[in-house]
Amino acid sequence: MIKQFIGLEWKQFKRSSYFQKGLAIKILMFLGVLYFGGIAVFLGGIAYFALKKMLPEQDPITVVNNFLIFWFMADLLLRFFMQQLPVMNVKPYMVIPVNRPTIIHYLLGRTSIHFFNFLSLLMFLPFSVVLIVQDYPVINVICWFIAMLSITLVLNFTNFLINKSNSVFYSLLTVLASFVALKMYNIFDVTIYFGQAFNALYNMPYLVLLPIALLVVIYKLNFNYVKSDFYLDGAISQKIKEADGLELNFLNRFGKTSTFLKNDIKLIMRNARPKQVMMMSFMFLFYGLVFYTQQTYKDMPAVLAFASIFITGGFLLSFGQLVPSWDSEYYKMLMSQNIPYRQYLESKWYLMVFAVFVSFILATPYLYFGVDIYLMILAGAFFNIGVNSFITLLGGALNRVPVELNTKAKAFSNTNGFNPTQLLIGLPKMLLPMLLFYVPYKLINFNAGLLVLGLSGVLGFVFKNAIFNLIERLYQKGKYKTIAAFSEKK
Amino acid sequence: MITTSNLSKAYNNVQVLNIEALEIPKGQSFGLVGNNGAGKTTYFSLLLDLIQPTSGHIESNGVLVSQSEDWKPFTSAFIDESFLIGYLTAEEYFYFIGDLRNQNKSDVDALLAQFEDFFHGEILNQKKYLRDLSKGNQKKAGIVAALIGNPEVIILDEPFANLDPTTQIRLKGIIKDLAASKGVTVLVSSHDLLHVTDVCERIVVLEKGEVVKDLETNEATLKELEAHFSGEVIA
Repeated sequence: MIKQFIGLEWKQFKRSSYFQKGLAIKILMFLGVLYFGGIAVFLGGIAYFALKKMLPEQDPITVVNNFLIFWFMADLLLRFFMQQLPVMNVKPYMVIPVNRPTIIHYLLGRTSIHFFNFLSLLMFLPFSVVLIVQDYPVINVICWFIAMLSITLVLNFTNFLINKSNSVFYSLLTVLASFVALKMYNIFDVTIYFGQAFNALYNMPYLVLLPIALLVVIYKLNFNYVKSDFYLDGAISQKIKEADGLELNFLNRFGKTSTFLKNDIKLIMRNARPKQVMMMSFMFLFYGLVFYTQQTYKDMPAVLAFASIFITGGFLLSFGQLVPSWDSEYYKMLMSQNIPYRQYLESKWYLMVFAVFVSFILATPYLYFGVDIYLMILAGAFFNIGVNSFITLLGGALNRVPVELNTKAKAFSNTNGFNPTQLLIGLPKMLLPMLLFYVPYKLINFNAGLLVLGLSGVLGFVFKNAIFNLIERLYQKGKYKTIAAFSEKK
Repeated sequence: MITTSNLSKAYNNVQVLNIEALEIPKGQSFGLVGNNGAGKTTYFSLLLDLIQPTSGHIESNGVLVSQSEDWKPFTSAFIDESFLIGYLTAEEYFYFIGDLRNQNKSDVDALLAQFEDFFHGEILNQKKYLRDLSKGNQKKAGIVAALIGNPEVIILDEPFANLDPTTQIRLKGIIKDLAASKGVTVLVSSHDLLHVTDVCERIVVLEKGEVVKDLETNEATLKELEAHFSGEVIA
């Protein structure tokens, strides 16, 4: 039976929507996998030498052990968000004559083949290999490596036990945050104790039995939990959230557009996928830290301009590129309703402008890097509002990939709503501001660059109506194609 | 009210719909029956300008639906669950549709009050998003949403499917009332011959995209339809 399950699994993988896409996407995805896998291998491989160089007086394995607790905590947090027991897969097997234990073993077993587990493998394996090459005791390293994998799997299964409760998640988050805070302010270094534990795992190889035993126990717990309540409304049910009473009446001041604006905010708050995008766009705020802190980029202001676009444009870029896909699930209805495209699009535009505005306020701490940088972020914000927002909406007219709102995007299967056209449209969003800044900067000076960048945004804002007319026409023209594409079954 | 002329739709040269002429007068309750793939949903989608006709056109109240959008204010429809917004509660959804059709909150509330029976206490104040409702309840919400804003043309694709018996009977009452006393043109498709003969003054049978029967409903209609469809099975 298990053999057949595996066969089905393989078919599901091979025939899934993201393999049915064009060759270009396949190549891109392949490169993406290579990239992330490569980073992991590279980090794992280089970690030893990097640590040795940075902290010469400490043994790299000890340093790693001291920080492992953060890695594992972050791992668990991420899992909580992204990983759920794939219960939909077992529904068809519930009523056919297969032993329940077989199904449950299969259900649990297949979760071990998950991106997160591979990530761990890709990190720890090269590191362990380097250790062995560097003449560390082989037994210790191998046992340590097995221990790490076991702990990863323990987290994998722990997640399913706690996944349905938000309180667990928030307490976990609090614990993690306080660990970090305590360490940062040198009040209490919790890493020492966990570090000692992990070091012990390394120094006393026989201790590897501990995590393995833990793994067996937690697997058993999961097994029993699922088995005791193997019903559609039991352990394998999916969370149903109670509706929140969101009113959002303050938005009424936006008149006709407010109808859609309210809807869009509910869309973001109540669906897994847009929520994810929202969090992603928050991360973009920190993009500047990567660039502004490096000496190398100090003399490459065009690159800094590039970074500045990202700081205020995170939401615009990540949410905006999936307009109108966000409404793909009920697009037919919208199109048969008495609505002008204009209002619908304008609502999305307001949302993006608002996000840029909020991001800009949140970016105030960048003043620390100097007024020049801050002004650059301001100019970037103008550009985002006046130019990028329109480019994004224009790109949307060509976007015909449906999005499943309440399905979290899995790492690597995130091609839902991703196509080469998007990539092409994406280029000017990043290259244009660099150009607009760089040319006057080279010809005149830094401030001239800022001015041109900012003014381009103002210009776009002035011609908003004309641009919207154009965008509206484009959407109108692609209407039938979009409807057909959105109603395609996945 | 609705005039269809020389309408055809083909996908990759395979014709799925071909209606030479079909005239639906105002205030008629019009039923469309036919086996799977007969072209019922295709016809409704063309009526709503969701797909483009290969040839011909539909005129609704003097408006060419594929050319102008002026038919939208007086037309409403519930085709399938994709007409619902899953992450809204039923109330939010009704108010949203109300907003689109220029009905304020109290207008919508007044309309909803008439359908308390129909909802059977399972739609309003449920603290549940539409996506978490059962299929039948989703359908109830979708049908009532199609009645918001005093439309003159209402299109319902298989409204009886998934509904419980009580609701089916109530829905029949609602549809009859719309056509008879309010002069609304109601277009309904169904696989249930009994329901459709109960509700519709006129029934058109589609087969492989073509009109094969156009009946004025009377006592003999149900028998005739049953004979038609069982004959097909044998042949």
